[in-house]
Amino acid sequence: MTNMERGKPVISCKNVWKIFGEQADQALEEIKRDNLSKAEALEKFECVIGVRDVSIEVYKGEVFCIMGLSGSGKSTLVRHINRLIEPTAGEILINGTDVGGLNAEDLRAMRADEIGMVFQNMSLLPHRTVSENISFALELRNVDAFTRAQVAEEVIEKVSLQGYGDRYPSELSGGMQQRVGLARALAADPEILLMDEPFSALDPLIRRGLQDEFLALSKVMNKTTLFITHDLDEAIRMGTRIAIMKDGEIVQIGTPEEIVTNPTDEYVAKFVQGISKLKLVFAHTVMVPVAEYEAKHKKLPALKSCPQAGTEDDLDALVAKAVDQDKPIIIMDEGKPVGVVTKDSLLHAIRGDS
Amino acid sequence: MSVTETTLKPFKEFAEKNGDYYATTFLKVQQETLSKWHVNKAAALGGFFWASLRANWLLFWIGFFIDLVALVYLGAAYKFKTATGSVLLDVEKFKAAGNEAAAQNKMFLIERYENWTSSSIMSAIIIFILGRIFFGWLADRIYFRQYNAWRVDHTKQSGSKTSRWVMLAVIVALIAPLMLYRSTQFAPDARTCVKQDRAIAKGEEFSFQDKFNCKVISDFPTLFWIDRPDKYDVKRAKDGTRYVERTAPTNKTPINLHTYTSGKIENVVKYLTGFYSYIFDGIVSVLNGLLGAITAIFAGTPWPIMMGALLAIAYYAAGIRITIFVGASLTYLALFGFWLTAMETLSLVASATCVCIVMGLPLGVWVGKSSRGKAIVTPILDIMQTIPSFVYLLPAVAFFGIGVVPGILATVIFAMPPMVRLTSLGIQHVPESTKEAALAFGASPRQLLTKVELPLAMPSIMAGVNQVVMMSLSMVVVAALIGAGGMGFLVTRALANSDTGKGVLAGIGIALLAMMIDRVVQKANNGQS
Repeated sequence: MTNMERGKPVISCKNVWKIFGEQADQALEEIKRDNLSKAEALEKFECVIGVRDVSIEVYKGEVFCIMGLSGSGKSTLVRHINRLIEPTAGEILINGTDVGGLNAEDLRAMRADEIGMVFQNMSLLPHRTVSENISFALELRNVDAFTRAQVAEEVIEKVSLQGYGDRYPSELSGGMQQRVGLARALAADPEILLMDEPFSALDPLIRRGLQDEFLALSKVMNKTTLFITHDLDEAIRMGTRIAIMKDGEIVQIGTPEEIVTNPTDEYVAKFVQGISKLKLVFAHTVMVPVAEYEAKHKKLPALKSCPQAGTEDDLDALVAKAVDQDKPIIIMDEGKPVGVVTKDSLLHAIRGDS
Repeated sequence: MSVTETTLKPFKEFAEKNGDYYATTFLKVQQETLSKWHVNKAAALGGFFWASLRANWLLFWIGFFIDLVALVYLGAAYKFKTATGSVLLDVEKFKAAGNEAAAQNKMFLIERYENWTSSSIMSAIIIFILGRIFFGWLADRIYFRQYNAWRVDHTKQSGSKTSRWVMLAVIVALIAPLMLYRSTQFAPDARTCVKQDRAIAKGEEFSFQDKFNCKVISDFPTLFWIDRPDKYDVKRAKDGTRYVERTAPTNKTPINLHTYTSGKIENVVKYLTGFYSYIFDGIVSVLNGLLGAITAIFAGTPWPIMMGALLAIAYYAAGIRITIFVGASLTYLALFGFWLTAMETLSLVASATCVCIVMGLPLGVWVGKSSRGKAIVTPILDIMQTIPSFVYLLPAVAFFGIGVVPGILATVIFAMPPMVRLTSLGIQHVPESTKEAALAFGASPRQLLTKVELPLAMPSIMAGVNQVVMMSLSMVVVAALIGAGGMGFLVTRALANSDTGKGVLAGIGIALLAMMIDRVVQKANNGQS
């Protein structure tokens, strides 16, 4: 998709900087001028660079993953979107509105109506029932109790927590608590979801289940999601696009396939190394064009005797076709052969050699 | 594990001199086979000299203290011995003058001084010998710790160096002579020294020793004398306006800083009560109103209804077992004729608790949320808690007169700190992430406080209320001293008349009252959470 097709971005950050410390402004000036590193800034100004010149644009309906290790500034960045943290420099626009320019009342209205947030440690209120927790944002906006109960009932169904509305959070398991967290974020029907490592604290099986449910839900509801994670597997499963952060900077932005097949630097490459390419790499990237194949080998073998596949088939599908026979796979596009995938090139692609 | 030369090497490296002895001793300490009666003979003989040689300053001070105490006893023996001599001279004089009776009187003193002399010498010897043995016993055990510290940090002092005796000489020279001198002298009392000061001001001469004794070995000397300040009195003129009457002091002798300042404080209190009495009267009337309303409930309700109501509250809040206890306690109070008095006391406690909550809760929230609030309020709370309650009874009476209201105020001063502290503790312990979540969903500061922070802090706040009630009850007796009445008055009256039986009965009544409230409030709290 090009930017034209996507329309205007829902969230856009322009050159956002966050520097923690007492001499933040002075430090910013010098860091920009002399291009100081994180360690140098710490030594010189006792300032920590949280976010370093980040610009991102997130479009309607996208699940935009920000992936980075702890301390990379991803949680700090996401807190700028709803101004839980004020940027040192740069601006954040939501549907064209400058978040930094809002007064306190408008900011609260925006937080309550337009942005839902899910936290790693759930942060539910222990003295309120599940329903009361879910309708918290509505209560803050002075919505009446009857409407609140109705909305809560609806959202509870969406996250499949039927029958738990009148329980207290402490009676629920971790996975269920995070469903409540998700339901709370969805209750005010916000356009934007900010998810700060929502599934990191859960055990792997539950995490899988919740990821799938969220993906399904997200397709139906068409929310714009900013999804923070420290797990590249998760980012690849969830993300329409992924931004990789390191030391407060964004190292690379791209679709999962772009990141896996074409990492910009060593750092990203190291991450990608262990990732299975089977579902991420497609026939059109690994195939050798017919002309090239014919120049190297002889003629193309008879079409009928070979297995065939489309350009958008992933490696997993190609492997399934390649087993139990010796012929290369012919890649077809609109009924004509466009390329060839031999067993050798398939194996190389799985290993990630380029 | 076998012991090899490498095991012992660090011990020897540390001890340097007499390495073999310390190596075997330390090894035994490590293996926990050191004899219970093990004594380091060099340390026992050398005392603090040994310790400073080995740079163990803890042992040095212990050893120095032991020897110093023995030395001071010797000095005392010398003091009594010389005293005996001077008394003997007096006796001779009296005998020469033919005053047998006076001489006989002094003979009794001689006997006493001789006894003291010999017992001082005995004490000195026993302390010295036992002390040195104890020191020797302690030496290797503490010295081993120094070895452990040295293992971690080799720059720490180790080995044995005679150059360290320079340090020892300095310390001993600073402390020992004056201590020894003090032990050989009868110190003059504070009165003698004040007289001496005044005489010197008039131009009399005293020997250097007398002056030295007054300045150094008696009480801390009065460094300067101040002229008496004018006395202020607030008087009322015929037309009703108040004015200050200032009188010059009639007594011209100078006074010390203490007397001067206390006079000034009295003047300030007089001024405040004279010109700002409306403030204090206002507070008194507000509190009297509150107290009146509460007393009307507790004491004004006929006893059958009140008793039923208290039992019902206990039952709903805390269940049947505690209700039985409450019932038994109430029966005790009723049977021994304490009913109305106990209700008066409950009214006082309830009023004080109300004031504590109304003032303490917002203060606690402020302290919990603002670091400046914490910096301002914490020291004040510390003062409120550490000042003995009798101290603020006097100003309470000065400002508010005698009666229940100053009693309530004194109680509030005593009982409010836990309310503030526990409220702020509860507020501070609300997880940062929960607050962040509430903010992320658009909570305003007020909503954050009422919907998140206060509910989450509630267990802590309730614990604070319970503390307030308990501390108020414990102030009942003290408050009775300034006319607060109630059960406390019965105790103070019994105390004044040394009427043990009545005191015990009233005391038990107060204790039961406290236990009753405590059980019910605690159970109600636990039931909630």
